[in-house]
Amino acid sequence: MATLSRRDFLKVSGATLAASSLAVLGFTPQHALAEVRQFKLERATETRNTCPYCSVACGLLMYSLGDGAKNAKASIFHIEGDPDHPVNRGTLCPKGAALLDFVHSKSRLLYPQYRAPKAKEWQRISWDEALEKTARLLKTDRDANFLAKSAAGLTVNRWETTGFLAASASSNEVGYLTAKVVRSLGLMAFDNQARV
Amino acid sequence: MPRLVLPARGRLFAARAERLRTLAASDALGGYLELAAAIAEAQHAAIGRLETPVRDAARLAVAPEERRPPLSPRDLKRGPEWHTALAVIVAGVASVSTFPPAVAAVCERLTVTSADALDAFADRLLAADGRDADPAAAPFVIAALQAYWTALAASLAPEDVTIVPQPSHCPVCGTLPVASIVRSAAPYAGYRYLHCGLCASEWHRVRVECTQCGAIKGIAYQSVAGGPAAVRAETCDTCRAYRKIFYQEHDPAVEPLADDLASVALDLLLAEAGFHRASTNPLLWQPSG
Repeated sequence: MATLSRRDFLKVSGATLAASSLAVLGFTPQHALAEVRQFKLERATETRNTCPYCSVACGLLMYSLGDGAKNAKASIFHIEGDPDHPVNRGTLCPKGAALLDFVHSKSRLLYPQYRAPKAKEWQRISWDEALEKTARLLKTDRDANFLAKSAAGLTVNRWETTGFLAASASSNEVGYLTAKVVRSLGLMAFDNQARV
Repeated sequence: MPRLVLPARGRLFAARAERLRTLAASDALGGYLELAAAIAEAQHAAIGRLETPVRDAARLAVAPEERRPPLSPRDLKRGPEWHTALAVIVAGVASVSTFPPAVAAVCERLTVTSADALDAFADRLLAADGRDADPAAAPFVIAALQAYWTALAASLAPEDVTIVPQPSHCPVCGTLPVASIVRSAAPYAGYRYLHCGLCASEWHRVRVECTQCGAIKGIAYQSVAGGPAAVRAETCDTCRAYRKIFYQEHDPAVEPLADDLASVALDLLLAEAGFHRASTNPLLWQPSG
């Protein structure tokens, strides 16, 4: 028992119980064996993630039920702060503590949507369409408003008419790449995880 | 956050006995849990009568540099005090008349076994092939060794112990843990501790991680559907091993060794699902399956 270091295939079955301390000391495992036939296993998971709200990037534990099979959708039933996370040590702010409702919200955005100027309705569009449209709008705006030189004639290469807000749950590497891409376009109004 | 919780020698076994009694009332293995409770109660009496065993000061001094557990059974020379503990435990259990005759027979046999034979038996239990030892005598002998090692561990100060990152063996005595407990009260709230099967020390280990192979993917928490929410098994799809994990949040009274013993149904279901126990329960010995 004490210092087992090798791989130890220790399975508990009716046969092993019948030769265990329990049986040799005069107790019967029959009740337990009969009882277990009406039981079944339930599988839950605890998954680490990062709170999506702000740049503090608190660690989360998300609890879900489900057997992990491909066709069965796991359902998250509880979210709490990750006690082992060095940033928040198990705590969450009120917004973070309400993340479960965010996950299951009926109005949660699940795919790109577009509302044409003056239209009342949102329409669903594809990711390709959404990216195309966004790139087009950015390019048009930058072409129209890019400021290569200041009034005093200094080279500034600024694009002041668009801002960029990046995600909170990003790694250092993603922060670095975002900054490189955004700054190379001349964007000035920019916030992301790398600020923290 | 405390990385190590050394056992409280005055409370540990009494609390375990009480928990086992509570669980015995509703468990299919209630009779055996009553016996385990009697053993734990006798352990409480034994540790109360145990002078603090002499620690090997030279070993303690060297252990931090070597990053080895200071009370490893391989390195530590056992004192004769553990024989006294065994005598108290055997006498305590033998005084209960309601157990099957086999219990009294084993108690009788252990009383007349020579000290040398007992020491040889203890060595086998503490060594790697221990679980194939005589399953009738093993719970009594390991109980005496637990009392001895718990007294030793309780006499340590946290600075005597070096904690390696993500330890899978007890940092105090090098033994495998019985189970995990997720504590609910400050300063331990939400942290998972592994509970040593020999010296009852507890050490922190990050949650959602296989305590056997260290995998962080494919970890699931399996329980008996409709059973107590505080009792789960942390299973690993990588090495197919599991250890049970008990949540104080759902039941503040959970005790790792007692609750592990009182959830054999979960073991049976998990064995059918192809998982194996990462370590034995010291009070229930069985042949390898």
